Amino acid sequence: MVDTKDIFTVLHTIPDPEMPISITDLGLIEQVEVSDSTAQIKLLPTFIGCFALPAIAEEIKQKVSRITGIENVEVELINDPPWTTDRISDAGRASLAEHGISVPENGSPCTAHNEPKTIELTTSAIPCPWCNSNETALTSPFGPTRCKSIHFCNACRQPFERMKKV
Amino acid sequence: MSELDKQFHEAIVNVLLCVADDKLFLGHRNSDWTGIAPILEADIAFSSLAQDDIAHAGAFYELINSINGENPDQIAFGRNTSAYRCADIVTKDDEFNWANAIARQFYCNVYEYLRLQRLSNCTWSPLANLAKRIDAEQAIHVDHITTWMEHLGNGTEDSKERMQKALDDYAPYASMMFEAPRGIDTLFEGGILVNEGCLFTAWKDCVDNIVDGTGLTITVEPCTGDGGRTGNHDEDFTRSLNELQEVFNTDPLAAW
Repeated sequence: MVDTKDIFTVLHTIPDPEMPISITDLGLIEQVEVSDSTAQIKLLPTFIGCFALPAIAEEIKQKVSRITGIENVEVELINDPPWTTDRISDAGRASLAEHGISVPENGSPCTAHNEPKTIELTTSAIPCPWCNSNETALTSPFGPTRCKSIHFCNACRQPFERMKKV
Repeated sequence: MSELDKQFHEAIVNVLLCVADDKLFLGHRNSDWTGIAPILEADIAFSSLAQDDIAHAGAFYELINSINGENPDQIAFGRNTSAYRCADIVTKDDEFNWANAIARQFYCNVYEYLRLQRLSNCTWSPLANLAKRIDAEQAIHVDHITTWMEHLGNGTEDSKERMQKALDDYAPYASMMFEAPRGIDTLFEGGILVNEGCLFTAWKDCVDNIVDGTGLTITVEPCTGDGGRTGNHDEDFTRSLNELQEVFNTDPLAAW
């Protein structure tokens, strides 16, 4: 029977369609199980109903089914545990930073379940992924994809994106 | 608890429809601003808010499907007027007046944030997990609309006056969000949902807190009477529904 490690190796080669990071580094894979020739993969959406999910699920099916010994691939979307930016690996963070995409620190509090007045998306100092300066400002909490906001660094005069803290 | 007893199915589906229909129609109306919002960032924001809300609605329709097996597209697009459960503030015509769009968004976003917080405490885990996850996204909507309220309330005399007028015009519609979904008492009594007290009072505290210091006032009263949550919809809703169903009705059996 195929080892789950071999499946992870294949999953690691699948990039997120919207970011320079593999789906394993992004923390999308919660569980991989193999029984006989069937691989079952549990996938967490970053943002609920993210429009990239069908493409990701399709690519998983295609690539994993090419592994010798695998005949069926089942991809299930689950919401428990919830995906958070804490699930992004160190390698993933480094790759995103290289492309000017900032990621919230591990363990930073999730925005939900605060009183609305205390949600601090706009006020916290966010370091620039290009030059590390804290002299940055939020341009818009909504960016090119649902999971990212747009910021501007006043020190190096460069715009950058940031994964939203959820 | 991951399995829901059959006796609660009807009531929970009704509660889920209230959430999903609110989000579907609010998202649909917000997408009206794509391409024509006052500034580029607002344009992207309202388009993103629309995407978020419609995606969230889809997730709730999927959850309904897991209970009763009904096709999510059919639930979203294939019902008659009286079967929709949204409060009609979500389809109240903003007449392409930015203050109206902001007022509608403000009232609805804070309400949704608090409602999802409460649904996160549901003892049926599939709903609790989904609500908790979506509420993290909803927090960003509240943050965004708070910025707009402060911006317009503290802006010029003109912006404050227009914003106040919009808040007043939308106040009666905001009341209708608080019409209790049918069957919610069954869910409280059955221990499925937790009764955390009056949602209107919690909401009023929040919205008052957000406009505190801007000079804007919120005059919304608690809900009286039956409205969208029991299927009694106004003309603006019917117009929105017709628009939403126009393409779907050309071929209801098409795969999307």
